[in-house]
Amino acid sequence: MASEDARYRQSSQFRLWSFSPAQLAAAREKANILAQSSIAARLASTPNTSAPTSNANTPDRDGTPSLPEFLTPAEEATMVSFYVSELLRAGDHAEVGEVVKATGAAFFRRFYITNSIMTYPPQEMLIVSLFFACKAEGIFPRIGDFVSKFGRDRPDEILAGEYLLCQGIRFAFDVKHPFRALKGASMELRRLGDIEEQRINAAERRAREILNFSPLITDAYFHYTPSQIMLAALSLADRGLAERLISHTFHYVAPPTDSGPGTPMAIGDAPTTRRELKIEDKEAIIGSQIRDKVLGTVEACRDMLAKELPERREHWSNKAVFKAQIQPIRKKLAKCRDPDRYNLVELQRARREQAGNRSDSEEDEPEDNGRSLEKDAAVFGDALPRDTKRRKVVKTEDPFGPPL
Amino acid sequence: MAVSPLIVPPADALHPHPQKTAPSPLKRQTSAVPSSNGTPALVRPPGQDIQTGLSMSLDRVEQMNEQEKRKYIKDRKLGEGTYAIVYLGRSRQDSTQHVAIKKIKKQKEFRDGMAPDAVRELKYLQELHHPNIINLISAFSSKDQNLNLVLEFLPYGDLEALIRDVTHVRYGAADIKAWMGMLSRAIWFCHENRVLHRDIKPNNLLIAADGEVKLADFGLARSFAEPGHRMTANVITRWYRPPELLFGARHYSGAVDIWAVGLVFAELIIRAPFLPAENEVEQISLICKQIGTPTEENWPGVTKLKEYIVPSEVTPVWERSAYMGRFGAVGVDGVDLLVRTLALDPRKRITAHEILEHKWWRMDPKPTRKEDLPRGGGSEEKMGSDLKRRPGLDDESNPRGAKVARKLDFGAAK
Ligand SMILES: Nc1ncnc2c1ncn2[C@@H]1O[C@H](COP(=O)(O)OP(=O)(O)OP(=O)(O)O)[C@@H](O)[C@H]1O
Repeated sequence: MASEDARYRQSSQFRLWSFSPAQLAAAREKANILAQSSIAARLASTPNTSAPTSNANTPDRDGTPSLPEFLTPAEEATMVSFYVSELLRAGDHAEVGEVVKATGAAFFRRFYITNSIMTYPPQEMLIVSLFFACKAEGIFPRIGDFVSKFGRDRPDEILAGEYLLCQGIRFAFDVKHPFRALKGASMELRRLGDIEEQRINAAERRAREILNFSPLITDAYFHYTPSQIMLAALSLADRGLAERLISHTFHYVAPPTDSGPGTPMAIGDAPTTRRELKIEDKEAIIGSQIRDKVLGTVEACRDMLAKELPERREHWSNKAVFKAQIQPIRKKLAKCRDPDRYNLVELQRARREQAGNRSDSEEDEPEDNGRSLEKDAAVFGDALPRDTKRRKVVKTEDPFGPPL
Repeated sequence: MAVSPLIVPPADALHPHPQKTAPSPLKRQTSAVPSSNGTPALVRPPGQDIQTGLSMSLDRVEQMNEQEKRKYIKDRKLGEGTYAIVYLGRSRQDSTQHVAIKKIKKQKEFRDGMAPDAVRELKYLQELHHPNIINLISAFSSKDQNLNLVLEFLPYGDLEALIRDVTHVRYGAADIKAWMGMLSRAIWFCHENRVLHRDIKPNNLLIAADGEVKLADFGLARSFAEPGHRMTANVITRWYRPPELLFGARHYSGAVDIWAVGLVFAELIIRAPFLPAENEVEQISLICKQIGTPTEENWPGVTKLKEYIVPSEVTPVWERSAYMGRFGAVGVDGVDLLVRTLALDPRKRITAHEILEHKWWRMDPKPTRKEDLPRGGGSEEKMGSDLKRRPGLDDESNPRGAKVARKLDFGAAK
């Protein structure tokens, strides 16, 4: 157990994507504020009345455009939840597995911690998240096939967002889920031997249903470990079983006398070797203390999940709810979104152009070669993609003579 | 179960302190934006100072990326593989600190965004932190969305070069034991974290400045599959590929890596690839001849594998004693370990955990201290040999497999 905790601490999920509620709220607020100021500055600098923000930019009498009303962090949070539910529906529709959906949801939520919904388009980013989740889970679909499942015929819209997503999730592609822990738990419960099979099966089924929705649409992954989330879901499914499992796990149980020397000692498991467990009383006390702490943590996680039980899927896709709660925010969003960043294809094109224009030498290529070809490449960059690429190839192949 | 309430969020993941000493940027990134006091004042959008003159500023994430990138200066090219070019890099702050910057090539034939190798390599290196696994220091994207991995710099080449360089490099049983120990720990750690490497070979074992061997190249790695999930059999460079993969098994385990570990072990001893076949059919024949023919008797169920086909003349599995002549340099216990890694039936093959418990480690000679291990000629020489080993035309669906075979033709005494 200790080794598993230690291992979790090494994971990128813990290192980069675990926060206290206060940290998380602060991060989101910051993203919201930065988006506001950046969009405001952008709208102020170009009083053009083109495209999506036209309503918002009706010039004042003095000629400067008035600023739109921005989304609040609370409104952003509602939108993120709404789009996660959309992402899960999209995943069902595309028939990707439960792990891919869960990973996609985690990517999407992570992305919108440092980025505002006003900055990048959630409708596209949810498909980007699902697409990249497939890849992160080792499935590599053709982009054309993938987007066509959603009635889209512009693969570039999704590909253009892939890089953005990767940066936004800080190149950490591994998401740790509670699904395997649930399997382990039901096996453990069966091993206890005195619980009806039917009861275990029912609890496992319900817990799985919960894991496929509740932690994904709440902040559970940011605050709790996979095992804690699993126990919370199990507790919602069958509180008795979850408590039984927790007491069993944290209560000192003397090892059966026959399973001694033959069992190989787990190498990473030093803290739980039998020698340390010998003083039963001490163990029992520590065991119960830990148990109480775990119960408290699981209870808190349970409360979080209980707010979004699987039945809430219906809520998020309900037309009346959409009209009353989502549509007004979407209307507001249409006026305050970032005019430069909502079109991912354009954004990518602009970024490439910028990269091409940037001529500072320390950028990308080794500094130690001052060859003219290289300099050309640096100056023209990828504004002239084909030509430049060929030159670069010539340059690198150089030492071996002409490419024949 | 990681349920311990002791796990609390890291104090400052989003608002870390400024770098102190050893920069480990993936773990702690300095936030580019001075923390605002919550006043939504109309401040200049972040990034404009960096990007003066450009119409579009950088957002927060782009700025983090920019900062990350600016921490390093790219020097000369170190080498080139199928999907990446590797440069020597220096820390801008401390120019004595070297890194390797692995720039992923744009793959023309892969039109579906970030290439699989890059996704896998990043995914696993982000999670696996171990003294015998190459350390990923950072990742950033450069202009035109090229992905760059910042890796620890490993200046002394790889085990393949060492093994081949018979004129300059001498080593003995104690050195082999040290290298094998490091490889075994690396693979144990992968499996412990439910990761299959799927490309173990001497060429992917790089040597650090302090002599430590590091497992690199996670471009083919994947997580352990759920039971019943099918995986591709087209992994692991042919000479190191276990029989179950050659027979087309789609369900397999960490045992595939162990076979490859065994072949690295054999190669370290005889200083030549043990089973260097020209193609897959020949690879199977060679296994049958040198190790024994897989049959229902020694491997129940093997004949049901989709591509099971063996030479009609059945060779019984060789006894340990048969190995003593060629591999005796590592002693009886070393040979025992070798034979266990080369068990035909993957279920009977020794596990990484069991390898670490094997008695060979405790026998004499003691493994050489890593500082005293022989090492390769260093990066200059290394670069020369890499240039020779550039990939050419690929004739196989798995370009890595094809390429590697050709690569080895250079050094291997046929
Ligand atoms: N961390 C490192 N430190 C020093 N040199 C390195 C490092 N990583 C790679 N290299 C050098 O760069 C070369 C290319 O590495 P890369 O991993 O891209 O390809 P490879 O393993 O040689 O081939 P392939 O990718 O086809 O398997 C290597 O042969 C090695 O010489």
